[in-house]
Amino acid sequence: MKPAAPLLMLLPALVLVPLAVLLPPMVHVGGWELIGSFAVAAVTPSLDPVVLASLLAGLGVTAGMALLGWAGSLVLGLLLGACSSRTVWRTLTGSELPAELIRRLLALPRAIHELIWGLLLLQLVGLQPAVAVLAIALPFGALVARVLSDLLDALPTANLEALRAAGAPAPAALLTALGPALLPGVLSYGGYRLECALRSATLLGVFGLGGLGTDLKLTLQSLEFHELWSGLWLLLAVMLALEGGISLLRRRWLVPGRFVLARRGVGERSREMLLALAALVPLCVLVGRALGVDPAALLHWQPLPGLGDGDWAATAALPWPRLVGGTLLLSALAASLAVGLAPLLLLLVAPLGWARRGLRLLWALGRLWPPPLSALLLLFVLEPGVITAAMALGFHNLGVLGRLLLESADATDPAAEEALVCGGSGPRLALLYGRFSGLARPYLAYGAYRADVILRESVVVGLAGATGLGSQLLESLSSFAWDQLLALVTAYALLTLVGEDLSDRARRRWLAAA
Amino acid sequence: MAAGPPTAVLALRGIRVSGRDRPRLEDIDLTLAPGERVALLGASGAGKSTLLAVANGLLAPEAGTVLWEGQPPARSRRGRRRQQARIGTLWQDLRLIEELTVQQNLNAARLARWGWPRALLNLLLPLETDACAAALRAMDLDPALLERPVTALSGGQRQRVAMARLLRQEPTLLLADEPLASLDPRLAAELLALLLAQAVAPRALLLSLHRPDLLDGFDRAVGLKDGRVLFDGPAAQVNAALLADLYGGTPPGVRP
Repeated sequence: MKPAAPLLMLLPALVLVPLAVLLPPMVHVGGWELIGSFAVAAVTPSLDPVVLASLLAGLGVTAGMALLGWAGSLVLGLLLGACSSRTVWRTLTGSELPAELIRRLLALPRAIHELIWGLLLLQLVGLQPAVAVLAIALPFGALVARVLSDLLDALPTANLEALRAAGAPAPAALLTALGPALLPGVLSYGGYRLECALRSATLLGVFGLGGLGTDLKLTLQSLEFHELWSGLWLLLAVMLALEGGISLLRRRWLVPGRFVLARRGVGERSREMLLALAALVPLCVLVGRALGVDPAALLHWQPLPGLGDGDWAATAALPWPRLVGGTLLLSALAASLAVGLAPLLLLLVAPLGWARRGLRLLWALGRLWPPPLSALLLLFVLEPGVITAAMALGFHNLGVLGRLLLESADATDPAAEEALVCGGSGPRLALLYGRFSGLARPYLAYGAYRADVILRESVVVGLAGATGLGSQLLESLSSFAWDQLLALVTAYALLTLVGEDLSDRARRRWLAAA
Repeated sequence: MAAGPPTAVLALRGIRVSGRDRPRLEDIDLTLAPGERVALLGASGAGKSTLLAVANGLLAPEAGTVLWEGQPPARSRRGRRRQQARIGTLWQDLRLIEELTVQQNLNAARLARWGWPRALLNLLLPLETDACAAALRAMDLDPALLERPVTALSGGQRQRVAMARLLRQEPTLLLADEPLASLDPRLAAELLALLLAQAVAPRALLLSLHRPDLLDGFDRAVGLKDGRVLFDGPAAQVNAALLADLYGGTPPGVRP
């Protein structure tokens, strides 16, 4: 009795069963009126020019922080990626050992979520625009480095060896042999990271690091829902424009397409790609000026309390099993919700064109809406705790997964589904059997990667009450308990590293079976 | 409205489908009586596939009427699905679901009649094993193949599984778009015989064919040229002159 591929895809949605039992007692009646006026405000956003001007200014700051953080992460990622590539070290020195070492070191900045970076930096150097930029650039840089070095080491090295044998110096040979082959992969991944950076910059704002996120949180807390929605719609417009633009560039640069001759492929457009990259430099300088980013100000650290003075007994007395358990439960719940609901909802709306468009919009809102804000909204009607936090985090990731699933479903061959419809089966079953069969394994592989991201992200819904490490971390931060903070960040990082390893294994298994 | 019993399994009247520079189908009249086995002949681009797409409901014609068992396309979604369930298509690319087992693929033909519970259960447990085994046997396949994934089958086996799936659907109208195109001559003849054997009243078969030498078991042949019916008569009357006209490149003096 082994479930077949399309069924596997729906299994995570079984999490709805325990949720249906646990949720009703958690609901309190007081807040429904607020939820109602929040929903009504979606169609009646504030059009007050003063409000709009202030929101636009906030949006500009958020977009600027995202751009700078992203550009910084690319530079950092390229450098560190080259530094952690086995091929590069083998070519330069003959030994792969330094690559392994750097790779392991980079796991640490990668394991720590940008929000933790942001809050830590905030304590260290005070509130300034450079904090958000750096908070994005550091973990993203380490992520880019990992992807880049994996890409680098997966490239065939025949060209490289040929150049070396012909007497080319190592750096030149590396650049010539591997550079062009790497460019499409870097740009494709880089584009995806820019989308992530916009979401992260908004999130950091929610925690007080400036920009639109701060405005969103303030309007939510003061129940100014009309203004809140003005900000959300503006952000949605920017996010959709960015996603659309990136996928346009992807199509133009990377995928030669079935009907385009090979000579118009990647090679001939590479000049255009490099020009676009070069144009980023003056753009970043301008944006940096406009935001008032001052790298020198980062050097003025507040004095750190000595770690020797820490109350380590109190730190050890924290309820660690409950904290770790809560974090794992939260991540598992959120991941199951996100992975399971996307195909389920797509099946439900399959016969209805308008509902499909509605779903697309809902998913876009999910991606856009920072999870802590959904958590705050849910707290109007739900008790605080792991389930509330998981729903907020799940909704956000549902937006990411749903978009991916819809795009891959639209890109796969419709023949099998068409055949089923032709034989009289309903549109939902035809979609399940005809299309989901082929999508199931790659989708679950991506789901495994997403679960890893969710574990890392679980800190951001810490303000939804007792959610494990995340909520404890925010609490220790606000009470300046450095000893606890250090222990919590370490615990978080260890957990994420284990999670990353497990998710890698799961992903390889799904893809190998596909 | 139907011209006396028995009702035609498929009736096309004045069908037109326009294409980019010329109609893909023009003024097509075609009737299939129960038990009739009709071969559709014609050069590539003559409109055979388009005609089959109209016949199986995939393509709505711009003009003309389609009647399945005397009924026009149903207005309601449910009625339409019931109609489609009685039309079985053997696709040229087979359209098996690669990730599923043979049995799950055979049962996929029952989705039109099954509700959600059985459709989901089919992805977990072997359902209706006897009926599936019978369908395989009718196609000269070993029922032991039921549990195998379809990716593990040979080309000939896949073809037979696709035909067995057609039987599981229990259609009255059998449509096939060049099902023998990629097979070696002996296998093609064998599979065609199996398919013809299934086309007994109340069932009817319309099959597009690119090899006139396989016309033996058919009752009628319909020749299409440039989207129009060039001839429609007993299969035995198809001769060299007719074929030459149909496939173009007519040698001078052969025209009847």
